[in-house]
Amino acid sequence: METWTPNPRAKPFIPRQQRSWYLTWKYQLTNKRTIRRFCQAGAVLFLLITVIVNIKLILDTRRVANEDAAAQEYEDVIPNMETPQRPANRRKVLDIEVYSSRSKVYVAVDGTTVLEDDMREQGRGIHVIVLNQATGHVMAKRIFDTYSPHEDEAMILFLNMVTRGRILIFTIKDEGTFHLKNAAKNLLKGLGSQASLSLNWRDMWTLVTKKGGQVYGEKHSKSPALSTWGDPVLLKTEVQLTASEEAECLWADTELNRRRKLFCSKVEGYGSICSCKDPAPIEFNPDPLPNNNVFNVPVAVIAGNRPNYLYRMLRSLLSANGVNPHMITVFIDGYYEEPMDVVELFGLKGVQHTPISIKNARVSQHYKASLTATFNLHPEANFAVVLEEDLDISIDFFSFLSQTIHLLDEDDSLYCISAWNDQGYEHTAEDPSLLYRVESMPGLGWVLKRSIYKDELEPKWPTPEKLWDWDMWMRMPEQRRGRECIIPDVSRSYHFGIIGLNMNGYFHEVYFKKHKFNTVPNVQLKNVDSLKKDAYEVEIQKLLKEAEVLDHSKNPCEDSFVPDTEGKTYVMFVKMDSEADTTTWTELAKCLHVWDLDVRGYHNGLWRLFRKRNHILVVAVPISPYSVKKPAAVTTIHIEPAAPKEEGAPVEPL
Amino acid sequence: MPRVNRTAVLSLLIVCSCVFLLFQLHYYRKYVTKQQGGPLLSPVHHLTNRAVQWQVLKKFLALAHHFHLPLFLADTLALSLLSQHALRQRDRVVQEPQCSFLCTDRPVLAFGVHASSWESAPEFVAAAQTKGFELLELRGKDPRLSSLDTLSGEEIPLHFLFRLDGYIIHVVFLYERSGNYLWHGPLRLRADMDRTFAPFSLLDYGRYAGAYDRPELILTVLDGLDVRVPRNITHFLVQQRDARFLECRFHEARHFLQLYPDDSSAAALDFRRKARTLLRVTTQTLGLLHIPFWISSGTCLGWFRQCGVISYSQDVDIGIFISDFRPDIVGAFREAGLSLKHKFGKVEDSLELSFLSQDVKLDIFFFYEDGDVVWNGGTQAKSGRKFKYTFPRFSLCWAELLELKVRVPCETQDYVVANYGSTWSVPLKNWDWKSSPSNVQENGEWPRAAIRTTVGRWRRTQTWIGTYCSKHEWEP
Repeated sequence: METWTPNPRAKPFIPRQQRSWYLTWKYQLTNKRTIRRFCQAGAVLFLLITVIVNIKLILDTRRVANEDAAAQEYEDVIPNMETPQRPANRRKVLDIEVYSSRSKVYVAVDGTTVLEDDMREQGRGIHVIVLNQATGHVMAKRIFDTYSPHEDEAMILFLNMVTRGRILIFTIKDEGTFHLKNAAKNLLKGLGSQASLSLNWRDMWTLVTKKGGQVYGEKHSKSPALSTWGDPVLLKTEVQLTASEEAECLWADTELNRRRKLFCSKVEGYGSICSCKDPAPIEFNPDPLPNNNVFNVPVAVIAGNRPNYLYRMLRSLLSANGVNPHMITVFIDGYYEEPMDVVELFGLKGVQHTPISIKNARVSQHYKASLTATFNLHPEANFAVVLEEDLDISIDFFSFLSQTIHLLDEDDSLYCISAWNDQGYEHTAEDPSLLYRVESMPGLGWVLKRSIYKDELEPKWPTPEKLWDWDMWMRMPEQRRGRECIIPDVSRSYHFGIIGLNMNGYFHEVYFKKHKFNTVPNVQLKNVDSLKKDAYEVEIQKLLKEAEVLDHSKNPCEDSFVPDTEGKTYVMFVKMDSEADTTTWTELAKCLHVWDLDVRGYHNGLWRLFRKRNHILVVAVPISPYSVKKPAAVTTIHIEPAAPKEEGAPVEPL
Repeated sequence: MPRVNRTAVLSLLIVCSCVFLLFQLHYYRKYVTKQQGGPLLSPVHHLTNRAVQWQVLKKFLALAHHFHLPLFLADTLALSLLSQHALRQRDRVVQEPQCSFLCTDRPVLAFGVHASSWESAPEFVAAAQTKGFELLELRGKDPRLSSLDTLSGEEIPLHFLFRLDGYIIHVVFLYERSGNYLWHGPLRLRADMDRTFAPFSLLDYGRYAGAYDRPELILTVLDGLDVRVPRNITHFLVQQRDARFLECRFHEARHFLQLYPDDSSAAALDFRRKARTLLRVTTQTLGLLHIPFWISSGTCLGWFRQCGVISYSQDVDIGIFISDFRPDIVGAFREAGLSLKHKFGKVEDSLELSFLSQDVKLDIFFFYEDGDVVWNGGTQAKSGRKFKYTFPRFSLCWAELLELKVRVPCETQDYVVANYGSTWSVPLKNWDWKSSPSNVQENGEWPRAAIRTTVGRWRRTQTWIGTYCSKHEWEP
């Protein structure tokens, strides 16, 4: 240790301050302590900021990463299965096959069957298909049962509505000429048919043509005898597609026209809706009602695959004063495109229903699903308006309901309010402001109370295997339980459907065509509260009191039975020993040309209708409690059915 | 010489770190804050951002006002600020006069709207888009139709996200459902949707479907804007926390009912009606006491398996956590017209109450939490034998049964499987509550002395009251 000597090479001792070259430099510059401090602080601050920014950056990056992970939770679990539509077929030529025979028709376009009907007892008449000449898409499919009257007129109307240039395909199933009048045959000739004028009973026939253009093919096989059908024909032909530039209409770009454009690109046969120059309106702006009690009542439109009916129906519905389009839902039985197109054209809500069961049961299941859905969709609604696709709706439909709907709440003896009077024909209905109570359930535009549906009807609605009509079921005493419906004298709906499950042209002509339909807006109804159970009895007694007894010695079917007066009230008494004894009423109904297929539209054995502008009360003696009003001197009218004559039931040709 | 070098190195380092810092700042602004849209560095930016946010809101609310769209504020953050503010009066306002409630630190603000009122303003969306709002529409199936399974309607709007200047306005569509409640759908992005459109995890609504009572709204002025808010904000926020809603599995239920059609005899219809009435009374009674309950055992199975009640079960079963037990339950049910039929067990152990309404029984099982399981007890009246039914832990969700809003365990399948085993989907008419459940365990016996008091009929022996609870507790 003693030998220790300092390292000669060691650096000489330097005071601490001098070691910092920076500070030395600083001192040399200013030699001020404050500035040194300031710079030190600045350096520290700088360091801190760097650290903070870094930490924040790390945190944020991590959070973003977390959020990305979290966002995964919002992923749709089910991948979008929809595959894009097959790109439009670039082919310029369509192969078309058309088959016509007694029991089967089909049409195939490019190998795809676009029509096939081999159901028994269905699809009789001329099938018409309209194709888009540029794309080959089916734009319309119609059947005209030209075996029945007036269907040829509908066909003429339809063909005239089709835009020029479209491809038309015709084929007959079973029989399509019995009521095919010359006007229609000439129109077909105008479309290029060679055979149309010689088309005859049970001939088979197919035609492919372009409206206002060439004929692509036609085949015809004559029926050899009255009792047999012509041989089946199969027509195979090719159609040249045209370029799609043929002008789309130049409508102003509005929400309405966008809907219109979409509609017109898909379907045909709706007349001037798709007219370029002056298209028919699809928005109607009817007057609102001053005190609308039904503005928030949901409206369920029950529909099948009758799109042109639906179109007509919705047009009248949307034109009715006080309508609230937001409350309308159209329930379509089946996944048909065209009815949905119609619904969307009007900007309404449509719901499709997977068909369950067959025939009446299918309709009944569709009704159930639609009613349940209506009350589901509108949990706050206590009522629902139920309409069908083959009804015209009166302009004062909602005004009528708005004035009467409170009765359903206030009178437990009511089952429904209906816009339809079964006995209200042109010659038997008179007063749009008059209401009745009836023991039957007329349907055809009616209001259902939520509690009746939810508590009574829905739980025991007929199951799919029961082939019952829903309306017949609703009329059964177990369901109706003695309750009544309010109806107007002049119906607020009009049944225009000719094709349907229980409907055909003849039936419609006899029972529905001459039905009276109100066209007067804003009718003020008379004494609505007198329709309540007890008040109505008072009303009836008053009527019976002032009524004159008709001359019962005359024949009630004779016109002179009712005097040529106006505005008077008369009463007549007809024999009815029991509920089942319907002979006299049925005969009377027949000669009055009102509904005679079953006994409808009465209240306590009393019918009310108009004859020659006089109010007539028809009392069933003795089952009606009003029989006591019958003067002893009057003999009850009793009519036996005239000899075993043909019943008025429709005759089916098949 | 070395001095100079050092200086050079250090200044180089400083320059480098400055550049790096600038780069970081740049990166931060460009990538992180852009996706967030919101949080910014300096308070100066913060203020201007609030101003931007306020402008966005003002624009949006003006549009809504123009189209008479009754939007109401549903944002949990804004609402809780508001409810705190109600307590603390207005000191915040002084600090930040511009936008203190509606401009939260999140770039998202949620509004609710009744779907029916939305329908009447179809031009709103187009108008918003012309004002510069970008829109992400999320639609989904209408649950009110899918309950029928055979119906299909158009998809209904569930959530709309409007974006402007990085701010998102989230519009939640509320639909009226038949159980007298409002429903909103879950927010699910389809594959083709923009995942970066909004910070989805910041959304208050949409992770699950939700069920709410109809809020009463009041119009008020917040930050100078007219806004509707729920009148009872705290209640709304409490609801929001437990709003998760489970839709019944209608499709599976339909399959089940095809295999085992529903009994439509008069007796079954009658039971269904009575069960509904009983469940409604239960909901009301316990609702008034603010006691949450869920449907349990057979009733829960009925909901899960067939979206209805099992008509041969002949009773309604509910569960309540023992922590929610209150002695005035009995009194409340009696006031509602039910009679107490049995009371088994005691508050500390295996409590079970059963009431009678007409001829339908309401069984209330009290559930005890024990580690990672919960259990309820059963007692055989004649022998005093005790049984224990254990379940995995569960949370509670809303569901609809017989057009009533009731709670079910969210993990319903686990719950049902625990109770009924893996064959729960096969109906079993001969059910023995002592042996059939797959989670039953013998749990000893009540001591002889306790039997009279723990296994009691209300009317015959009132002594049990004295043993375990004081009388006034039971009869308020």
